[in-house]
Amino acid sequence: MNFFTQFGDKLYSTFIEDDRWMYLADGLKTTLIVTFFAVIVGVILGFLLAVIRATHDKTGRLKFLNFLAKIYLTVIRGTPVVVQLLIIYFVIFASINVDKIFVAVLAFGLNSAAYVAEIVRSGIMSIDNGQFEAGASLGLNYTRTMIHIILPQAIRNILPALANEFIVLLKETSVAGYIALTDLTKGGDIIRSATYEAFLPLLAVALIYLIMVMLLSWLVSRLERRLSKSDRG
Amino acid sequence: MIEVKELHKRFGELHILKGITTTIEKGEKVVIIGPSGSGKSTFLRCLNRLEQPTSGVIRFEGEDMTSMNDKQLHAVREKMGMVFQHFHLFPHLTIRKNITLAPVKLGLMSQQEANAKADELLKKVGLSDKAEQYPNQLSGGQKQRIAIARSLAMNPDVLLFDEPTSALDPEMVGEVLELMRELAAEGMTMVVVTHEMGFAREVASRVIFMDNGQIMEENEPQAFFSNPQNPRLKEFLSKVL
Repeated sequence: MNFFTQFGDKLYSTFIEDDRWMYLADGLKTTLIVTFFAVIVGVILGFLLAVIRATHDKTGRLKFLNFLAKIYLTVIRGTPVVVQLLIIYFVIFASINVDKIFVAVLAFGLNSAAYVAEIVRSGIMSIDNGQFEAGASLGLNYTRTMIHIILPQAIRNILPALANEFIVLLKETSVAGYIALTDLTKGGDIIRSATYEAFLPLLAVALIYLIMVMLLSWLVSRLERRLSKSDRG
Repeated sequence: MIEVKELHKRFGELHILKGITTTIEKGEKVVIIGPSGSGKSTFLRCLNRLEQPTSGVIRFEGEDMTSMNDKQLHAVREKMGMVFQHFHLFPHLTIRKNITLAPVKLGLMSQQEANAKADELLKKVGLSDKAEQYPNQLSGGQKQRIAIARSLAMNPDVLLFDEPTSALDPEMVGEVLELMRELAAEGMTMVVVTHEMGFAREVASRVIFMDNGQIMEENEPQAFFSNPQNPRLKEFLSKVL
């Protein structure tokens, strides 16, 4: 009996008292906003980088852009995302009053772009060279061949890998607290410091991440099944 | 129509084409035969510059292709269809879209005009019922016939065939050769790299024998097969016939 009342009290103080559940709700909202826009930044920039890299590998053109892209990929993939986040917030935007959500979107987007770029590049390189030649032999130039023939096939091949990258990104945003942005993780942490009770808020945070990841994974596996079904032979 | 002068192609140390000179006239059906590694496919791929020649001149309708910029080159390729050994159909598109993609995206036809053209071509190659299917639902022979239809949709002046039946099961070779015979009879200019000696004998207006990166002999098919001069050709024919 004692245990249950104690547990009930803890539940009450963690989530109900002073509307503390709002920290989790608001944090979740922030996490989702940051992830969503970071995915958009990552996809756009990632595709751009991938096309530059693949074009250079295929045709030998764009030497300078390829050189820049390679440096970008090396630096971004060679340093922790937390450090990148801190540098963007405390160094690049040090003297400007800037929205933290914007900084987080930028940092996670720029970071994700590097990983998206390598996924997309591998997708492009996996397409048989004969597809490029077939396009060329019909009078299509490189750009048209890329847009209408290569990329649609490449995207289809890499969709599962791309979706997994977004799942990773969702979890990676949990370090946004380093720039005092109240995301889901930080929200749970605020409750912990208010109630001196760590177990329940952190468990709740973990559960919410887990549910989101499981939901996304389920969507990915459905997507994979759909793709393999329409993949005739 | 196509004029080739002293064409050389090297891949690093390898000297694949060692000075090819020949002229292909409008309406000609030129069949190129020769052993593997003789450079016949490379020669064909140089004609539409899928391979960049190391030296020499290729003129298409009077224009030097070796010195063209990309834009001019794409314009020439619109007039020069190519059929590949492995078809290279676009697997993500329906048969109809495979055929209409290039003419529509290049602004030569509206989607409706291209669809009408596709229907006409599908009828010609005997695959009218496949318009909405995907390439991987077809047999090899059907794929190659669609690949030919795709080239024809551009209304080319010349068709290049790079071993069009070599990747096919034996029972499917006939349907593709039959279609090529039809095209030849309609007056299409064709350059065909093949191992099908029967086709060369019946359809070619001229047969070229290549060996070791050079044209060793060229002649009209009757004399070519019944009275070969070059010793390498005699040896080759004795093995394949």
